[in-house]
Amino acid sequence: MAAGGLCWVLRAARQVSPAPSLQARSYYVDWRMLRDVKRRKLAYEYADERLRINAIRKNTLLPKELQEVADKEIAALPRDSCPVRIRNRCVLTSRPRGVKRRWRLSRIVFRHFADHGQMSGIQRAMW
Amino acid sequence: KPTLSEDSTTEVASKSQEGTAETPKQKLLDLIGNMKVEVSYRKKLQQLKTREVKNQATDKLEGMDGEGAVLQRTTEDIKRGKPLNPELVKAVSAVASSLPLNKTQTESELLAQLRRHEETTDKQKKGGVINIRNVISEMAVKRESPAQRGVRISNRISMDFDEDGQRIKSERTSRQSSDSRRSLKVGRRLNIFTKTSTETENALQTVSSPTIWDLEFAKEVAAVTAQPPRNGFEEMIQWTKEGILWEYPIDNETGMEDDAEFHEHIFLEKHLEDFPKQGPIRHFMELVICGLSKNPYLSVKQKIEHIEWFQKYFEEKKEYLQEI
Repeated sequence: MAAGGLCWVLRAARQVSPAPSLQARSYYVDWRMLRDVKRRKLAYEYADERLRINAIRKNTLLPKELQEVADKEIAALPRDSCPVRIRNRCVLTSRPRGVKRRWRLSRIVFRHFADHGQMSGIQRAMW
Repeated sequence: KPTLSEDSTTEVASKSQEGTAETPKQKLLDLIGNMKVEVSYRKKLQQLKTREVKNQATDKLEGMDGEGAVLQRTTEDIKRGKPLNPELVKAVSAVASSLPLNKTQTESELLAQLRRHEETTDKQKKGGVINIRNVISEMAVKRESPAQRGVRISNRISMDFDEDGQRIKSERTSRQSSDSRRSLKVGRRLNIFTKTSTETENALQTVSSPTIWDLEFAKEVAAVTAQPPRNGFEEMIQWTKEGILWEYPIDNETGMEDDAEFHEHIFLEKHLEDFPKQGPIRHFMELVICGLSKNPYLSVKQKIEHIEWFQKYFEEKKEYLQEI
């Protein structure tokens, strides 16, 4: 009996055993990055509601009173829940400007890694 | 039916024995050997036992007729239980000779009775485990015509493939099912297999009982036995298990299990029953439904939730709506 239970648990344990990564980051780079992370989380949570309330607001069929009520409702939601406040910062340095979206890195970090050959498929341009 | 076949075989047997001077024992053995109880195909089960009989008979028989008899036996189907007690057989021959009717026929009938008797006593001794007659009664040997056989062989060899590369199995399985004239559920219970229901209970018990100590032990064992990957393949395997690497060939629908049919996605009007039939709200909701039906990214549950949210919202704002 116990052996059977152990086998099952062993199998489960073996499947998910993450190897320790070389760069173990337990803190965010700075407080601004942390705030950005919070904003992203809230935006994810309230995304559906915002979409629906906006659908009521931005159409010509429903009566205006209803739309005004919807306006007030959406204004009452937490300010950090709107996606407009999210800033695509660099993932490694938290730099707010000069960030390439595909790699989520600022231009300086990108150049650093590309020169060391650590960006897959990136090569110095020459033509 | 059995008597008719017995008659035919006894005639054959008597013909073969006319030219020989054999002891009654040998004659009886010949009779027994050549007897057919039913015209059925019971070769495999009886071949073992008939070999015993043949060995006994060949030891005793001499000359050409012995060979002829053996040949006869090999060509015929023989049904046989245990070889009968030779004294009983002698007694049977004596009884048959005393009776006024056809001697050989009575002999054969008496021997058949004896054999049946022996069989039943054996069965009672064993406890009636398997009655082969019951097993075989439901079976019927297929008669393959050469044309069918050719088709079957060609099917096996050709290996028809679909466009996707999957073998066409449906034809084969349908043929197999139509071949077996009897269905699976027909017939008496044979009681050959015993139910093993205790195993499932044991499995259920083991799942519920792992303690924290068991978990810790399992984690320790996994950590100790997990060797670093020896090559790139093992590394990729490890990454796939962790979830870092996708599974190839890439399935576009990993993690997305939508069991609903297309009509549940598109025909969403049935969820609009609680809304008013006329008016701007209905118009609005129909637009919402039109948009949802074209949305491939949401599951059916999410779409229904969407519509229900609107319903709740409009319920709450009824006072504002009444003014209009």
